[in-house]
Amino acid sequence: MDNKLFITLTPGNTFIDRLTGKTKVRIFFLLIFILTFTWDIRIMLPILILSIVSLLSIKPDKKKNVAIIIFVLLMNLFNLFLTWVIKPNYGLEMVGGSTVLFRFTDFFIVTAETLWYFLVRLTKFMASFLLSLAFIQSITPSELAAGLHSVKIPYKICTIVSLAFRYIPDITRDFNNIRISMQTRGLELDSRKSSLFTRLKQYILILVPLIITSFDRVGNIANGMDLRGFGKNRDKTYYCEHEDTQGDKVLAPVVLLLCGILLTLIVLKILYKPLYEVWCPWI
Amino acid sequence: MKKSLAKKLLGTWNTRTIVGVAIGAALFGVLMNYGGIKVTTNTSLTSAYVIPAIVGALFGPLPAALSAGLGNCVADLIGGWGFWFDWSFGNFVTGYFAGLVGAFGADVENGVFTTKHAIIHAVLCIVGCAIGFGLVTPILTYLWYSSELTITWVQAQAAIISDASVLIVVGIPVLYALARRNARGTNLSKED
Repeated sequence: MDNKLFITLTPGNTFIDRLTGKTKVRIFFLLIFILTFTWDIRIMLPILILSIVSLLSIKPDKKKNVAIIIFVLLMNLFNLFLTWVIKPNYGLEMVGGSTVLFRFTDFFIVTAETLWYFLVRLTKFMASFLLSLAFIQSITPSELAAGLHSVKIPYKICTIVSLAFRYIPDITRDFNNIRISMQTRGLELDSRKSSLFTRLKQYILILVPLIITSFDRVGNIANGMDLRGFGKNRDKTYYCEHEDTQGDKVLAPVVLLLCGILLTLIVLKILYKPLYEVWCPWI
Repeated sequence: MKKSLAKKLLGTWNTRTIVGVAIGAALFGVLMNYGGIKVTTNTSLTSAYVIPAIVGALFGPLPAALSAGLGNCVADLIGGWGFWFDWSFGNFVTGYFAGLVGAFGADVENGVFTTKHAIIHAVLCIVGCAIGFGLVTPILTYLWYSSELTITWVQAQAAIISDASVLIVVGIPVLYALARRNARGTNLSKED
């Protein structure tokens, strides 16, 4: 659990790291919204390539990243397999065709359209996953708050987001400490030695102290923030929000361009409803 | 100390509440990712749904809703399945109902949580899950993605059943435990 977390607390020194929180947050959310609204692989593939490039450019910890990427890829493939088991002819609904490639029984068929739909869906999920992975490893919690504040989100909400990200590593550390100390007292968490139901019950034994220690901390943090005058004025500036760098100036038109693409997608979606959601080259 | 209705429905907003919501969202995000068993795709029997009940009991319904909604965004960001804002809004609505028990007289911070409150909490959780995941999420899914409504329905049913049962089966004992813990210092009377 502890090595699966990617929250950075100190900014790095690559091109993406040096950008202001404003630019990072704007580009990330625009790309995520575009990915959310489209099922067109012609738009998603460039975003996938872009997110791979940006992930490589921030020089992340290789071992950690490869492990989670393989894990998520396998999970997604398993999900696709489950979808196939429930509805082998899913491509007919989404793509609009059913060219049978292979036939196990009359129900379990493999069609080219279903495979195409699965490829599109995998692209969509992997693009948004890799984008999130690159984003979270290149931004610090304060920069995230500053970036959200730059798009006119009330600063109290921004503070909630940055505090939440700040405390995730602490919570996982507490979780591990509690788990280890409970195991020392004889709690069996090994799946081979205890049944699912006992493990569930023992899980609650870990959960309750975790919740109590986490919420006990609220008073201390709130006092610390009050002492520093949090919430006194209507607005707040961010220490980590520096002047625009060269990169921010270069990327400013890109932000506008992405805004344009997103608006076009939304307008198209309202005005023009295609018969089938997923674009396919042979239909 | 009688709270006004608006305060009961919106929660008291001060620095403590902001920190509480933040910690709740962080816990929700972590538990959503690592504290559950998969039921169907994208839905799981997760212990995360205890958090809105606790935040709601301590700070009020709107903080509970925010901690569930933002917590779902946090979970999406660190989890790696992409963003599903329709589900975040569903969680927001469910979180609101899960935290509403304080408006009916329960006061976990001062150790008041009786059987009556437990029953109200259970009813509210079922209603909240049904509205949040059975109504809000499918409508938003239809408006934003205009597809995959069959899968969303299956997921919504799984989410209603699993999350309502977590809120009731795990939530009520945890709320009792918190109330008992907080009740320790409340039987003191002021000496003249």
